[in-house]
Amino acid sequence: MAPTQWRPELCGPTPLCPPVPVILESPATDLACAHCGDVCPAEPLRLAELPFCCAGCRTVYELLNDNQLCTYYALGERPGLKIKAVELPGRFDYLASEAVQAQLLSFRSAERGRLTLHVPQMHCTSCIWLLEHLPRLHAGVVEARVQFLRKEITITYLLADISLPEVVQLLASVGYEPQITLAELGAQPHRASHTLYYQLGLAAFAFGNVMLLALPEYFSFVEDLQAGFGRFFGYLSLVLALPVLLYSARGFFRSAGQGLRQRHINLDFPISLGLASLFSVSTFEVLTGRGPGYFDSFTGLVFFMLIGKWVQQRTYDALRFDRDYTAYFPVAVTRLTPAGEQSISVQELAVGHRIRVRHQEVIPADAVLRRGAGQIDYSFVSGESTPVTRAAGDLVYAGGRQLGEALELEVVRGVSQGYLTQLWNNPAFTKDAAGPTLETYANRAGRYFVALTLLLAAGTLAYWAPRDQATMWRAFTSVLVIACPCALSLATPFALGAALRVLGRHKLYLKNAAVIETLARADTLVFDKTGTLTDPTQSAVQYHGRPLLPLEKQLIATAAAQSTHPLSQRLARELATEAVPLATCQEYPGQGLSATAASGQALRLGSAAFVGASASGPEGTPETCVHVALDGELTGYFTFRNVYRPALPAVLTALSQRYRLAVLSGDTDAEGPRLRALFGPAAELRFGQSPADKLAYVAAERALGHTVVMIGDGLNDAGALRAANAGIALTDTLTNFSPACDAILEAVELGRLATFLGFSRACLRAVLATFALSLCYNAVGLTLAVQGHFTPIASAILMPLSSLSVMVMATLLVRWAARRYQL
Amino acid sequence: MTIIFLLIGLSLLVALTFLAAFLWAVRSGQYDDAYTPSVRMLFEDEPELRP
Repeated sequence: MAPTQWRPELCGPTPLCPPVPVILESPATDLACAHCGDVCPAEPLRLAELPFCCAGCRTVYELLNDNQLCTYYALGERPGLKIKAVELPGRFDYLASEAVQAQLLSFRSAERGRLTLHVPQMHCTSCIWLLEHLPRLHAGVVEARVQFLRKEITITYLLADISLPEVVQLLASVGYEPQITLAELGAQPHRASHTLYYQLGLAAFAFGNVMLLALPEYFSFVEDLQAGFGRFFGYLSLVLALPVLLYSARGFFRSAGQGLRQRHINLDFPISLGLASLFSVSTFEVLTGRGPGYFDSFTGLVFFMLIGKWVQQRTYDALRFDRDYTAYFPVAVTRLTPAGEQSISVQELAVGHRIRVRHQEVIPADAVLRRGAGQIDYSFVSGESTPVTRAAGDLVYAGGRQLGEALELEVVRGVSQGYLTQLWNNPAFTKDAAGPTLETYANRAGRYFVALTLLLAAGTLAYWAPRDQATMWRAFTSVLVIACPCALSLATPFALGAALRVLGRHKLYLKNAAVIETLARADTLVFDKTGTLTDPTQSAVQYHGRPLLPLEKQLIATAAAQSTHPLSQRLARELATEAVPLATCQEYPGQGLSATAASGQALRLGSAAFVGASASGPEGTPETCVHVALDGELTGYFTFRNVYRPALPAVLTALSQRYRLAVLSGDTDAEGPRLRALFGPAAELRFGQSPADKLAYVAAERALGHTVVMIGDGLNDAGALRAANAGIALTDTLTNFSPACDAILEAVELGRLATFLGFSRACLRAVLATFALSLCYNAVGLTLAVQGHFTPIASAILMPLSSLSVMVMATLLVRWAARRYQL
Repeated sequence: MTIIFLLIGLSLLVALTFLAAFLWAVRSGQYDDAYTPSVRMLFEDEPELRP
């Protein structure tokens, strides 16, 4: 790595020459922490020659080592999770409450309790191993079972030996603190729906057996067999096919019925029509002894279409796409009553209550700050990770995370009435969640299909009626039978299901396959700024003022490293020099810190008021500033500016050729010129947008007929994400909170957004090509049908052939598209 | 050829047994998690360390 650049001589205070920014680089250290694999500081903590980056990691290692659980480190590469420095006593006390336990525990007897917890941190084989070996760490834990894909752990424990808060504390002590939030309360262990498996199994059973029974019909050399047993086989097939009609195919009929009730014909309507006529024609033929019917085709169709459903249904269990604010807000808050502190559930929180919010806790409701210095990190709301300072008497909005000392707040609005949570009262959230927002191609094709089929069937009736009564009925029913667009219905699930997996491999996780179609048809892309276009973990640190001596830099870096404030941490990381011994170091929450070096040099680092600077220095600059005073003399200030994600210019250039682009920012327009340069002259840039404004903008664009994709990250984008045709939530780590959305994209892959959208379009073309193929089969079938030549054997060949070839072609076309887009 | 009635009856019975086995497997949750067991079975069996 290159040596750290630090050239203060370039930013001298000469008035003619404006300060030249110096962007600093991260330090180079080659020691990796034995627990978490992070880079160790210059003088790492040691235990038995192994380096550790912090005391938390060393504690976990010691704990595991003492219990002979070090296999943990052998299974995966650096599996450990960094332990948050601050442990709060009493953080899990609310779990001791009877009401909370009643909601959390899925089973409880006199001596045992069982519950399922969501542990988003688990990520590898080592995690599974350690979590399933919890009983080693505490005898009170009887059993621990991990559901890795859902990131859930089911723990059975002895009530006499360990309490629920202790169980959770145990998990937290090894770095796997479970996520227990308002939304998860009362959620019983995930019960996957087994219905589709039952339906599929039944259809497969019936298909296999009916096909065997129908075989003699297709071969002339077993004619005498057919003569003797034909009727028996027919009745047996009817008996086998009946449960398929009544149970396996139920979903298609129900969906068609729902569509009809909403005066809407979807693809399931012609399917149901075809299935119903196929079954009734076959029953009629069997009962009247005319032939064996089409039961093999019928059961086969249902089986193939259920496979299509199964392929499409595969989703990402561990990701939650429907999270609202309740998933983020805490379960319990500390209420201050005259009798003392009391832990109450967030739902019970009412206007006027006094609450205490400690370090790292989330503010659950809009409230007035009564006591304490608020340092509130709103990164989950806005994407901006620099804390906001609030003093007593200020109004504090819900959703922020307090850093520093405990606060006393007075609630002024109920949880669901807050500035932020009111978003969820918007009609965009109350409208039918399941309702498709876009008319899919499959449904539109289905409608034309119905019209065409009915027209053809009527034409057949009219043509044959004066000529041949017997052929007329056969031809008429055959048209209805062949009209079952099963191949058509298989094209979408197989193509989009394959695409879903391709995108998942590249860290774009879609809620369901239908989202691909929406992405492919998008014409407007709306971005949030902070946290989406900018990288919240990076900032360009610039120093303005008189040049600093190397020793002074060391002092600043060492003092800043003592503080947990994000700006101090960032500063320490940027300066990254060798530590100097400090005589004193004192932090003043919300203001800054003061330190004295062993050499006697005094440093004050922090806000302008704290350091004693007049506000004149950085006036007008939108950036966050940290002032520096050495021995009472002001030397200058550091500015922290958010940096845009490095991949942004390239991806925007690619996107602007095809899409209308817009930026909705909650900030002032200080960044306007930079954004304009990035987005080009045609883009819509809006600043000072409230969450409701963002929602309204997206809704207005949709009303104009545009297909809108919103890309955002915080809770304040939740409304816009919801209102858009497709909302993509950007996240830096998957375990982090992401608001309700249709897709979750890992931030490192933002640069491939143009590729993803292009690939979606290619997938949609693949679907259309497969439609064409299946229509060819239907044309062949219909040609036979209108002439009255559509026999059971023609059906038995055509139906599986079309289904299978459509499945194969859809999958292959998508794979080919993926290769073309290098995905 | 009436033996065919018996044979078909028997074959159906066998098929029904498999169907029942499948339904039981689904019901007992074997299809709920198709990943973790594949990892779990590779863990080393260790001697019981608790006293």
